[in-house]
Amino acid sequence: MTVSNGLPSGASTVERAPDLTSAAPTARSRPWLQALVPVALVAVMAVLGLVLQADPLLTLDEVLALVVFATATNLLLGGGGLVSFGQAVFYGVGAYTVALGWLHWQLGFWVTFFLAPFVGAALAIPIGLVALRARRLYFALSTLAFSELANQLAESRYDFTKGANGVFGPFVPSSLTDPVGGYFFLLAVTVVSLLLMWKVHHSPFGLVLRSIRENRERMQALGVNVYRHQLVVFVVSGFFCSLAGAMFVVYSQSAYPELLDWTTSGAPVFMSVIGGMGVFLGPAVGAFIYQFGHDELVRYVDDWQLVLGGVLLLIVMFWPDGLLGTYARARWGSRRRRGARDEEDADA
Amino acid sequence: MRDHAAVLLRAQALTRTFGAFRAVDGVDLTVRQGSIHSVIGPNGAGKTTLFRLLTGILRPTSGSLELDGRSIGGLPPHVIARMGLAQAFQTTNIFPRLSVLESVRAALVSRHRRAGDMLSWFHRSLAAEARDVLETVGLGDSADLESQTLSHGDQRALEVALALAMSPRLLLLDEPTAGMSPFESQRMVHLVQRLARDNGLTVILSEHDMDTVFGISDRVTVMHQGRVLADGPAPEVRANDEVMAIYLGSQA
Amino acid sequence: MDADLEETLGTQAHAQGTPMSGSTIVTDLVGVLTTASSLFIVATGLTLVFGALRLINIAHGSFYMYGAFLATTLVARVPHVGFWVALVVSPLVVALLGIAVEVLVLRRLYRREHLTQLLATFALLLIFADVALRLWGKGVRGISPPSAVQGSFAVGGAAVPRYDVVILAVAVAVGVGLWFLLTRTRLGWRIRAVVDDPELLSASGTNVPLILTGVFALGAFLAGLSGVVIAPQQAVQPGMDAQIIVAAFIVAVIGGLGSIVGAAVGSLVIGIVQTLGAVWAPSWASTFMYVLMILVLAVRPWGLFGTPER
Repeated sequence: MTVSNGLPSGASTVERAPDLTSAAPTARSRPWLQALVPVALVAVMAVLGLVLQADPLLTLDEVLALVVFATATNLLLGGGGLVSFGQAVFYGVGAYTVALGWLHWQLGFWVTFFLAPFVGAALAIPIGLVALRARRLYFALSTLAFSELANQLAESRYDFTKGANGVFGPFVPSSLTDPVGGYFFLLAVTVVSLLLMWKVHHSPFGLVLRSIRENRERMQALGVNVYRHQLVVFVVSGFFCSLAGAMFVVYSQSAYPELLDWTTSGAPVFMSVIGGMGVFLGPAVGAFIYQFGHDELVRYVDDWQLVLGGVLLLIVMFWPDGLLGTYARARWGSRRRRGARDEEDADA
Repeated sequence: MRDHAAVLLRAQALTRTFGAFRAVDGVDLTVRQGSIHSVIGPNGAGKTTLFRLLTGILRPTSGSLELDGRSIGGLPPHVIARMGLAQAFQTTNIFPRLSVLESVRAALVSRHRRAGDMLSWFHRSLAAEARDVLETVGLGDSADLESQTLSHGDQRALEVALALAMSPRLLLLDEPTAGMSPFESQRMVHLVQRLARDNGLTVILSEHDMDTVFGISDRVTVMHQGRVLADGPAPEVRANDEVMAIYLGSQA
Repeated sequence: MDADLEETLGTQAHAQGTPMSGSTIVTDLVGVLTTASSLFIVATGLTLVFGALRLINIAHGSFYMYGAFLATTLVARVPHVGFWVALVVSPLVVALLGIAVEVLVLRRLYRREHLTQLLATFALLLIFADVALRLWGKGVRGISPPSAVQGSFAVGGAAVPRYDVVILAVAVAVGVGLWFLLTRTRLGWRIRAVVDDPELLSASGTNVPLILTGVFALGAFLAGLSGVVIAPQQAVQPGMDAQIIVAAFIVAVIGGLGSIVGAAVGSLVIGIVQTLGAVWAPSWASTFMYVLMILVLAVRPWGLFGTPER
């Protein structure tokens, strides 16, 4: 009595994820211009760190952790076309690595902070091996199951995790509990992480990853071990998601089960969609909008979820490229109309 | 004349069943180095299944398959591809949102075994090589277009370019002229001939158009209901009445 | 969310008595069947929609919650027979809501990628959750079973709640009804064909959009129905939407998305794991469930009764 055995066809013709990073030429002829925007952004962020009060700095701390979380998630999403609803596993594990290292083994913050991404990466191997056997929706649901499993384990293994209460503690050295010190530390980690992920995206590996996203079977016929390639990016994403989780601890001084929940996994997907998952900085922009939108809106309205849901719905329905994506596509379109050819930039 | 060249691909008693259905049934195939070898037959004769067995997308149920003396039966597709067997697909099978140049670069990255390289700019260094491949198939002017914006004929040419980027020893073309205008078809035929004659590439192709088949093939294998009905030099097969009867009968 | 989820699944931790006594076996069996029945009703709607529309409807959880909330309202407003009225009216209202969702939102997204559809229904879940807060508030609500089926009767020394029989009956009715619809009617044939070849179906004179809307409405109806059925058994409160959707995913994914038989088997498997887990290793019961799902996905990524995606 199987309702349907067919392949997705007709009613669900696959529309490929937009990829504007690959299609949009950038001004390689003027490399300094290409670097100008990121450098300016970092400069602005640094100045903000010096002038802002503790409260808005805390919001920026949150944003920075989410920027890394969302960008790492988008390595899978925009880069690989892999919709994971399980990245919270790694985010939460990153936070718990710091918290539990302190709780059980009295490990110092600097040890656990830099250990956290490696724990996440190591964990991503078995999870990826299982989840990547499935495709598309099944992959999404499989990762969701891992997220719920992790959440459930964190709640039920009270002796190890302190259960639903979570672990609160003074994990963080005083140099980082200072608002300005903490902020600059997180900013530095964010900049280094984004540079590394940017390089991964703009590497032979990243090019092959995007090709797999576009057409898995074709890339396999061209000699690529697709399963292994996707596993590698899953591990890289797990690495940076866990790092983001460790960043979370720096300003929150806590780790608790909700960090592992599938709704937490949904947040970076949201941010990527809002900002545009086809653009490298899209998720980062999305994280800014998401967090500031949240912090501002909850002051005035109770219905934060309603607004968030409404915005998300409108974006996926009418503006699927996201904010930066729409901008990049418009620019790419105008370049093409002018017949501009910028041969070396096709993948910049 | 090529009957003395070395054997590049040899299939013996190759069989693939789907339940009780024998899609490919004890097929023997010998393809010599540097030849253009056509596999023809009416729809449902097992050509596409045969091709999928050769590329490793399907595993053979039984029988042996050798590429240059090494057994490839049952190996995964990406391994067979790295051993020098590349396919251009029947349906257009490209990377819709990548530019033409990028698509070829991705294939080249794979061929150079640098797909796992996260920290270099190796793919950027492939521009010249990629352009060579694109020039070969006549897409030199389209390098920066998004692949999905190409015309049907150009998409098929890109399809061949992707296969060529693997610098294969054996190129599989599944109905390379299907759905093409006469002009585009002719261009494809010339391309295939040039690849075989100038580059010494071995080509296996399946094709419906008889003029094309007998115009360019050195050798022709005729399949019918999963089996080999006839096999020999193109002129001999063309002279085979039984072949013509079955083939034309089911085609007309 | 562990304890919540167990509550969501309606697991009664009736672990009293010696483990192997006859009454315990009956109690466990009833526990398995009740849990499985309520899961089946909600999961079968999810899987039915996936079968025809190839879309995972996260807002299925909202439909379920609305069914339960509407039931609490109707029971409060209509004396005596409120529950029976709710059993018919709530699912129909939810089905109307489903039609609105399909026509206004999903219909525009069928040709888009899976992620878009997934996110759209996720967005709907968030929207519906806040609207529900406005309509019904944050408090915990509850209704008791209608008087005719209150109390319990004795079987083999165990007390079996009468209401459990109602749940089982509804599940059987849903299962048989769907089986009949899908395999014995021309409409069912069209529903099964719509995913394989909508063009052909359309060419043969079938109104394909209407079929899709109808299937989605039927899925919403089943979600609403399960919400009503489950309302007398557990707290009706905000957040039950996100919880049930995880449980329904697990069932549907273990059984294989798109397969009604799979949903039945998946519900039974989870019912057994939950009930026995609650007896033998209470703190691991939910863990077993997720581990089981992951094991199934590792061996058969498309579920026990599903078909591989290309």
